[in-house]
Amino acid sequence: MDISRNTMEIATACATALVGGIVCYGASLNGISWNESGPQPGYFPFYIGALIIFGSAATILQTVLRRASTSDVFIDGERLRTIVAFFLPIVVMVAISAWLGLYIGMALYTFYAMRMAAGFRTATSLLTAAIVVAVNFVIFEKIFMVPLLKGPILEYFGIY
Amino acid sequence: MGNFGQLMDGFAVALTAHHVMIMAVGVLLGLVVGVLPGLGAPNGVSLLLPLTFTMDPISAIILLTSMYWGALFGGSTTSILFNIPGEPSSVATTFDGYPLARQGQAVRALTLAFTSAGIGALTGVIVITLLSSWVANFAMRFGAAEYFAVYFMAFASFIGMAGGSPFKTLVSMMLGFAAATVGIDTISGESRLTFEIDELIGGISFLIAVIGLFGLGELLLTMEEGLKFEGVKAKLDMRTILRTVAEVPRYWVTLVRSALIGCWMGITPGGPTAASFMSYALGRRFSRRGRNFGKGEPEGIVAPETADHSAGSCALLPMLALGIPGSATAAVMMGGLMIWGLSPGPMLFSTRPDFVWGLIASMYMGNLIAVVLVLATVPLFAYILRAPFTVVGPMITIVCVIGAYTVANHVFDIWLALAFGIVGYVFKKLDYPLAPFVLAMVLGDKAEDAFRQAMLTSDGSPAIFFSNALVSTMMGLGILLLCLPLITVLFKGGLFGRPAAGDAEAHGRSA
Repeated sequence: MDISRNTMEIATACATALVGGIVCYGASLNGISWNESGPQPGYFPFYIGALIIFGSAATILQTVLRRASTSDVFIDGERLRTIVAFFLPIVVMVAISAWLGLYIGMALYTFYAMRMAAGFRTATSLLTAAIVVAVNFVIFEKIFMVPLLKGPILEYFGIY
Repeated sequence: MGNFGQLMDGFAVALTAHHVMIMAVGVLLGLVVGVLPGLGAPNGVSLLLPLTFTMDPISAIILLTSMYWGALFGGSTTSILFNIPGEPSSVATTFDGYPLARQGQAVRALTLAFTSAGIGALTGVIVITLLSSWVANFAMRFGAAEYFAVYFMAFASFIGMAGGSPFKTLVSMMLGFAAATVGIDTISGESRLTFEIDELIGGISFLIAVIGLFGLGELLLTMEEGLKFEGVKAKLDMRTILRTVAEVPRYWVTLVRSALIGCWMGITPGGPTAASFMSYALGRRFSRRGRNFGKGEPEGIVAPETADHSAGSCALLPMLALGIPGSATAAVMMGGLMIWGLSPGPMLFSTRPDFVWGLIASMYMGNLIAVVLVLATVPLFAYILRAPFTVVGPMITIVCVIGAYTVANHVFDIWLALAFGIVGYVFKKLDYPLAPFVLAMVLGDKAEDAFRQAMLTSDGSPAIFFSNALVSTMMGLGILLLCLPLITVLFKGGLFGRPAAGDAEAHGRSA
């Protein structure tokens, strides 16, 4: 399952054009014209959005005109799987962190990455997770006094 | 020489034990950031920035700039020993650095790189010392229209001088502007582009964008390439180091040329990455030994390294004197200055001379410390890099996630950073430049304010941008720069021609 570069170019340009459209629409809610006190708040963003659409359209045109000369692959199936296998656990970690706190999130993620992705032994992976949590706890809570999100479990044990 | 006296005062500020220690810590952190692929200078500085909110601004800026020097130096270590650039700006160093190291001359290659980098950085700092207060004085005469013209010129030069597609630069930059407008409008107090999502009312922090685009995006790229470090061993011995240092003056032509290129690219927002590629290309064309380039030619290391570092330090000149950063990292630092309550620009020279000159003095010291520390830590980092990336990658990920959270203690920001990560990955693969995005995000509000104020004073007539010689010259230059791609196309013939490969790379990975 290969995705060609041209496909990706056009998909990306369409996405940026869509963002441009959203920006224009959002700006129009604030008023894009002039009144007695000068430009309305939406004036500047509206033209930003318009320029995004213009740039995206030009990129699409460029890609289409060049089509014959390039047959590069953006990503093949194997690489895509590598990326997804790396990215999905991060998403899961963030979801867990949002719910149970960053320390629990990073502990579980480190353990997963060590045990499953890097293939270390269970004991080594557990130890690494513990070290990561301890080091971060000392750096953020003690040295820089920047409290990270704790979540219900740590709060239950009286760690704020 | 009023500057000299002020510089001495600056040294008095910078040379306290406390600040020297901060420099050493900053350089070490920077080395880590520079050595690890996937953690670059802009991203590293963004991650550290929230931790400096409680420090006093002078210590904080010394910490951040020292980290910047460390990152610039650290990137070359991996380029030479592992053929993997730790920083986008040290890509050009791999061309000759790695071949020379493979010939058993790793120490010579490293010493060459660090010495010429040191010379480059020193040149940059001297340029800053000599020019900054002059530029600041000049800029005191600026009104809103002049400011907008300067911003316009900065952004136009990105579009005009970038090697790749100008349209992609435009899209990237305008997306940055759009991201900057999200949230409460500073002039009218209305909320813009928030679409009734509460989390967006506070705006999108440029730090989140940098962590996502440069940090997570780069990680995804590195992961995809399935990185394996196959390094060259380097045993440092004093004799080789000294002999190589003595060898450096022989390359004075290359040094001078590269330093000039670097200073120019740093002051105009070309950035270190573009500078190093340009210097390498010019070195290959003009050097008598040009045909040896790519086979382990010492001049091929000296050229990109000198330019990289002089550009890196010169990028701070427009940031300090005009409030316009010359590189993505400088943009992040400038964002930091604003968060600390300092407004970068000409006024800073008169309101906080201790800050400005302390910072400039610390640049001399910081680079000196960086040269020593980078040589001393080569064995350590060579050892760290033998750890597989499947271990290093997740560690960097955790740092990025925590970094995104600490910006404002919002979980929503972490999700945003992940989204920016995907955008960064796709953009990098498709050669969209990321530096204009960050620059636009940091400068967006200021450029818009300048524009609106100028329009208010002129009752909505754009003629104000051509009302006097100064502002019309700047606007004219800006328009010329904007048209540059068009002019080149007309000269080369054929619309939508493909850019040269080297240019596209320099441009796509601009730091």
